[in-house]
Amino acid sequence: MGLLFLSKHLPVKESQPGVPKTPADIISTVEFNHTGELLATGDKGGRVVIFQREPESKNAPHSQGEYDVYSTFQSHEPEFDYLKSLEIEEKINKIKWLPQQNAAHSLLSTNDKTIKLWKITERDKRPEGYNLKDEEGKLKDLSTVTSLQVPVLKPMDLMVEVSPRRIFANGHTYHINSISVNSDCETYMSADDLRINLWHLAITDRSFNIVDIKPANMEDLTEVITASEFHPHHCNLFVYSSSKGSLRLCDMRAAALCDKHSKLFEEPEDPSNRSFFSEIISSVSDVKFSHSGRYMLTRDYLTVKVWDLNMEARPIETYQVHDYLRSKLCSLYENDCIFDKFECAWNGSDSVIMTGAYNNFFRMFDRNTKRDVTLEASRESSKPRAVLKPRRVCVGGKRRRDDISVDSLDFTKKILHTAWHPAENIIAIAATNNLYIFQDKVNSDMH
Amino acid sequence: MEFKLEAHRIVSISLGKIYNSRVQRGGIKLHKNLLVSLVLRSARQVYLSDPCPGLYLAGPAGTPAPPPQQPGEPAAVPPAGWGEPPPPAARAAWRETEPQPQPQPQPERTAVLDAQWVGGAEPATSVTRVGDALQGREADAAEAAWGSVEGPRGAAAAGAGDPVRGSDVFPEGPARRPSACPPGGEDQRGAAAASPGADCCCAPRPVVDESPAPPAVCPRKRGAAGVGGGPAGCQAPGATPLKKPRRNLEEQQPGRGEDDDPEDMETGNVANLISIFGSSFSGLLRKSPGGGREEEEGAESGPEAAEPGQICCDKPVLRDMNSWSTAIVAF
Repeated sequence: MGLLFLSKHLPVKESQPGVPKTPADIISTVEFNHTGELLATGDKGGRVVIFQREPESKNAPHSQGEYDVYSTFQSHEPEFDYLKSLEIEEKINKIKWLPQQNAAHSLLSTNDKTIKLWKITERDKRPEGYNLKDEEGKLKDLSTVTSLQVPVLKPMDLMVEVSPRRIFANGHTYHINSISVNSDCETYMSADDLRINLWHLAITDRSFNIVDIKPANMEDLTEVITASEFHPHHCNLFVYSSSKGSLRLCDMRAAALCDKHSKLFEEPEDPSNRSFFSEIISSVSDVKFSHSGRYMLTRDYLTVKVWDLNMEARPIETYQVHDYLRSKLCSLYENDCIFDKFECAWNGSDSVIMTGAYNNFFRMFDRNTKRDVTLEASRESSKPRAVLKPRRVCVGGKRRRDDISVDSLDFTKKILHTAWHPAENIIAIAATNNLYIFQDKVNSDMH
Repeated sequence: MEFKLEAHRIVSISLGKIYNSRVQRGGIKLHKNLLVSLVLRSARQVYLSDPCPGLYLAGPAGTPAPPPQQPGEPAAVPPAGWGEPPPPAARAAWRETEPQPQPQPQPERTAVLDAQWVGGAEPATSVTRVGDALQGREADAAEAAWGSVEGPRGAAAAGAGDPVRGSDVFPEGPARRPSACPPGGEDQRGAAAASPGADCCCAPRPVVDESPAPPAVCPRKRGAAGVGGGPAGCQAPGATPLKKPRRNLEEQQPGRGEDDDPEDMETGNVANLISIFGSSFSGLLRKSPGGGREEEEGAESGPEAAEPGQICCDKPVLRDMNSWSTAIVAF
């Protein structure tokens, strides 16, 4: 694959070794915007931090295209549902950028219950020379005004202003797990465990329910919705994944309520792999359409799979992320790691897929060459211009010098959230409360 | 055998997770609880389908015999699944009263027992009325198990002259524990502390006592012992698990994380949890939709279900989950 990555380590909040990490700083979502110029992260404390890529500068060729903090704001606050006596976490579950339509940028951020539309604007000029007000804004004494002037715009230090434009509340009884903006740029959907709602970006007081899998009797509940996404080109199509490992492609033209799927993508279970935890590890934690719209990528606990929209019977490709954990499922169940929801990502050309793992490892699979690599996001590997070294987990047998044994993996260091620049080989990796950005400095042959 | 042990362990871990989920920030996570319930179902099926009835019949009454399974197994709380008659409860009953078949609300007992049982993994707190008749470790374990329940139970017992409580009482929480056999003898079974270790038929008599003795006592008993089954059989196995609750608790600590103080875990709540759990997702427990549940449970109970009143089978347990169903729907 020939990946050489430069690294820039951007601690969203610098974590000192030895100091316990603040839970509120744990990054919970990472998302590039459509051009890749901006990168948004959300954390458990309800904050959103946006990074902007610096334009390449001739003066400092080595620091071309690095990401620096652009804006930080508090998106969600903890709330309390008095009716049910439940606390609503402020953790940002997902951020999705809207396609840019004017000078401002917009994004949707959501916690468990409420989605918010934020508008991000820049101000780099301000008017000066008012006739009636002085520089501080105080009214002038009219007797001192002897002539009229036309106020002019003068440059000022860049100021980024963020304001909440819409608040989409009270649409969900259960916990929201995904949001997805439609290609029509007018609507978006939000999915919770049992229902999916369709919203119009300009209307906050109502939404349409398009999928409802809640059984009449909750005792009959057997599966929940785990992720959903609109098709990148066809505004009538969307997919949602379930805890049983199936994907359902729905067409909104077919009916108002899309409970009946147009296509069901499901792979029969391999009976030889049956265990107590078979159902848990088959639950899909993330689903992503390819940029082309022809394929879907799903992540379950041990694998990533590529599905062709034209074939429902089974995925066309299956990649093992960390199959060595298969024999440790019971311990992973005990320490709750088996419930970790890993995300997955496509590169811009849909030729490489990426997903995270434990011990701050993340994996990339080249679909064309069938080669894969394991890399680590750590301080040691993130010195500027350091090249990431491939890592290996050894599972018994011969062990090479730098191999990590399965038993020494650190399961508290998990990479759940990763994002790939829409066009270039730049990836953002969230490792607990640190954000790593790696760039490929070599013109790779991946395209 | 290993499967059974493993299944036991998994069941206890799962119940602990469900309990903890109630106090987690952000409310109950439906997805995670659904997955845990699936695991519970699988473990339960394995446990119930694995026949080793004679395994825990052992030794003279009161002789704590180390469980054949696994001294080293930290979290393996013996009592396993749904249908297992909570040994502790049975034990408690024995201690306090003469063994008699009780037409107690089975489900509650089972649920309570199971709950207790999970709760029993908690560190021992000094316990109550149940203690005296217990022998050796059993007593300790029982106390441990009972301790945390003491409060609520006491209240319930105090108030309840009625040993027969509907399952609705169940989910109500500590204050309304079904007190088929309230320690202290309100129950008609009498407060005879006589206890006959001998009578530990934990299995057949799920005495509803909130203070189930060492949870581990003898789940399997149920099948093997039958009604009024050998006390000896009961006793011994019961004894063995004594160690487990404490150990289980300690072992589970690290795994659990957020549950920093086991002693605070009210077994009363756990009992509710069990009942809750039983009703929620019961569709998963069914082999066939609709009325399949009863059949399934009945089938699994098998010969154990000799008398309706004796065995804590799934049926009764699941029957009483109505209030939780309502809660789930509301949620």
